[in-house]
Amino acid sequence: MAIPGYSYEFEHRHLLSIEDLSRLDIEHILDLSEEFAEATRAGHRPEPHLKNMTVINLFFENSTRTMSSFEIAAKRLGADVVSMPVAASSVKKGETLIDTAMTLNAMAPDAIVIRHSASGGVKLLSRKVDCAVINAGDGTHQHPTQGLLDTLTIRRAKGRIEGLKVTICGDILHSRVARSTTMALHLLGAEVTLCGPATLMPSGTDTWGAIRAISDFDEAIEGADVVMMLRLQLERMNGAYLPSQREYFRNFGLTAERLEHAAPDATVMHPGPMNRGVEIESAIADGERSVITEQVEMGVAVREAVLKLLSGRRR
Amino acid sequence: MKTLIKNARLACPASGLDESGSLLLEDGIIAAIGDVSEQADETVDAGGLIAAPGLIDLRVKTGEPGAEQKETLATASRAAVAGGVTSMVVMPDTDPVIDDVALVQFIANRGRETAKTRIYPAGALTKGLKGEAMAEIAMMSGSGAVFFTNGDLPVENASVLRRTMGYAASCKAIVSSRPNEHSLGVNGVMNAGAQAARMGLSGLPREAEWIGLGRDLLLAEATGCTLLVDQVSTGRSMEMIREARRRGVRLHVSVAAHHLFFNELDVGDYLTYCKVNPPFRREEDRQALIDALVAGEIDAVVSAHDPQPPEEKRLPFGEAAFGAAGLETALSALLALVQDERIGLLDALRPVTASPADIIGVPQGRLAVGAPADIILFDPNKPWLCEREDLRSRSLNSPFDGRRMVGRVNRTIIAGETVFER
Repeated sequence: MAIPGYSYEFEHRHLLSIEDLSRLDIEHILDLSEEFAEATRAGHRPEPHLKNMTVINLFFENSTRTMSSFEIAAKRLGADVVSMPVAASSVKKGETLIDTAMTLNAMAPDAIVIRHSASGGVKLLSRKVDCAVINAGDGTHQHPTQGLLDTLTIRRAKGRIEGLKVTICGDILHSRVARSTTMALHLLGAEVTLCGPATLMPSGTDTWGAIRAISDFDEAIEGADVVMMLRLQLERMNGAYLPSQREYFRNFGLTAERLEHAAPDATVMHPGPMNRGVEIESAIADGERSVITEQVEMGVAVREAVLKLLSGRRR
Repeated sequence: MKTLIKNARLACPASGLDESGSLLLEDGIIAAIGDVSEQADETVDAGGLIAAPGLIDLRVKTGEPGAEQKETLATASRAAVAGGVTSMVVMPDTDPVIDDVALVQFIANRGRETAKTRIYPAGALTKGLKGEAMAEIAMMSGSGAVFFTNGDLPVENASVLRRTMGYAASCKAIVSSRPNEHSLGVNGVMNAGAQAARMGLSGLPREAEWIGLGRDLLLAEATGCTLLVDQVSTGRSMEMIREARRRGVRLHVSVAAHHLFFNELDVGDYLTYCKVNPPFRREEDRQALIDALVAGEIDAVVSAHDPQPPEEKRLPFGEAAFGAAGLETALSALLALVQDERIGLLDALRPVTASPADIIGVPQGRLAVGAPADIILFDPNKPWLCEREDLRSRSLNSPFDGRRMVGRVNRTIIAGETVFER
C-alpha cells in the first residue's frame, strides 16, 4: 500500500528484542504474518522466498516447540534447515559461545535462529556473525517472536489491539515472554496489567509499558479483554519463591469462576507448555474462549514473516 | 645522583602546598622543595605540569601467583606507572592464598625484583580465605602485610569475624572488609532494580551492602578493631559510616574510582567490562559518593584493578567474570571531577596520596623533605581517548574503553628514578 510522499522499509538486520522495533515495524510483520496464516489455512504453499538459502537453528536450551516452529516456517519457504540442539555438546567442552558463532559464520548461512539460556547471549552472538540473527529466546530477557505471535493472535481474535485490557499473570520475574509481549502490546496501544506473587514480580515494569503490576489476581482480571497465563516453573517451590502449587493455584490459577470477572468475551491465552491444574484449569485451557492452539498456528506464520524479511540480509 | 624538577606546579595534599616551584631529589628522597638554587646532575623542566606525590593504591589484584596469564606484579606495575600509581597494595586472593609469612615475603620479594612500583602485600584474614580459621595475623603483620582482608568474599560467619577483629585489634592490625551479605544476590550480576529486570539479569541488591556494612561496623565497634570498609558503592552506606564515626568507631573508607564515574545504565548493551562487584549503582549513589569525596569522608580512592582476560569477559553477561582493569584510569577518573569543578585538585589527590599512606603507615604520599621521592608529573587538562588496545596491563578489561578522558601522566618517578615517561 503506497502512500505518496511516504515510504516504509523494514530496516533491521536482526530480530533481537521488541525494544528495537517501532509500531510500524510490528504492524508490518503482523500484516505479513497474517498473509502467511491465511495462505496456509487456504491450503496454499507460499512462494519459496528462501529457496537456496540456509537457515541454522542453534538451540542452547532444550525446546521442541519453538525449534520445530522455526523449522517448519523455514521449510515452508523453501530454505535448507539445519537444526542444532547444542544444549550439552561443544559448549561444554570449553568452546565459547563466540567460537561457536565464528565457526557457524564461516559456513555462510543466510539466517541463524538462536536460543540461549543467558540474557544477552543472542545479542553477543549477533555481533560476531555476518548474517541475520533471530532471537528465539535469551535467558529471562526477550522472546520477540512470541511477543509478535501473541499480538497477532489477539489482533485476530479482537480485531484490534488499541485500547484492549490485557492481563498477564504468573512468574513475571523469570518470563521473557512477559517482557516481549508486554512491550509489543504496549507499542500497539493495549493497556497491559501484570499480575503475580510479589516474589515473582520485578521492579520497573512500567518501563516495559505495563500500566500496573499487582498481586491480586481478582483485581487484575476485572474487565480484562484478554487473560494470558504464564507457565510456572515448578522449581520455584524451592528457594522460597512460593509455598506450594495448591496455594499458587488458589491465588493465581485461572478458573471458570475467576474468568467470569473478565469481560464477557474475554480471550484466554497461554504460551505453553501448560501446567494444567497449576496455573490454569483444564476446562478453561480447552474451552471456547481459549486461543492457545491458534497461538501455535500464528507462531509458524510470524516466523515465516520474520524469516522472509531477514534471511539473506548481511553485514 | 641529584635530580632537579623545575618549573612545576607543586601540589601536596598533606601540607596544602599548591604553588609553582622546584623539587630537588637526591638519593631517592626529596631533598628540597620550593625555590631550589642547587646544581643537579639532571634537570627536568616540568613546563608548568603538576608535580604531585605518586598515587598509593590500596586495592590491586594481579594473577601472581597462580594466574599469571591475567597479570603479574610486573605487568600490573607497568600499567600502574603509566597511570601515576607508585605504590600498590596487592590482594591476597591468589593461588595459593597469601595466608602465611612465607607467602607475604614471597610477594614482597617478587615485587622488589620484578615490579616498577613499590609493592605491599595484604594478608588473608582467614586461612585459605575460607572464613573459618584465623590466619597468622601478627606474624604476617611483622613481615610486612599492611592489612588483612578476606578478599571479595567477606567472612560469612559473624562469630569468626568478631574473634578475628578482636585479635587483629590486639595486634594493632587493620581489617579490611567488603560489606556484603552474600546470600542476598547469590546469582546477581548487576545492580538490582528496573534496569536489571528489564535486561533479564539477576540483581545484586543494595540491601546486601547495607546489611554487611551494618554487621562489620557493629563488630568493629564492639572489638575496637580498625576497619577499612572496602569499596563503598551506595549513598546510604555513607550515612551508616557517618553514624559509626559519630560513635567513635575507628574506620577508613575506600571507594573504587570507577564508582565515581559510572552508574548502572553504563552496563548498556550487556557490556561485560562494566561487570564489577560491587556493581555500578544508581546515579544518585554515584552523586552521593562524589559528595562524600568532596566532604573528605572518603579516605582512599582505589583502582580496584582486577584484570580478566578475554576468555573471562567475552561471554554472556551473566557468565562473564567480575572485575575491571583500573590502574591506568583511576587518576583520570578523579581528574574528571576536578575538571567539572566538583572538587579541588588537592582534595581529589588526598585519597590517593597522603591519606592511604597514613592508613598503611608509609612515609611516601607527600612532598616533604626527607620523604621518598615518588613523584608524578601530569597535565590535568590533557584530553585523551581511552582505547583498551593502548593500555599496558596484561588484561585489557577496562570499562573506560572508548571513553574520552581528561588528565594524563607525563612522567613517573619512584625513589628518584624515572620509571615512566610519555
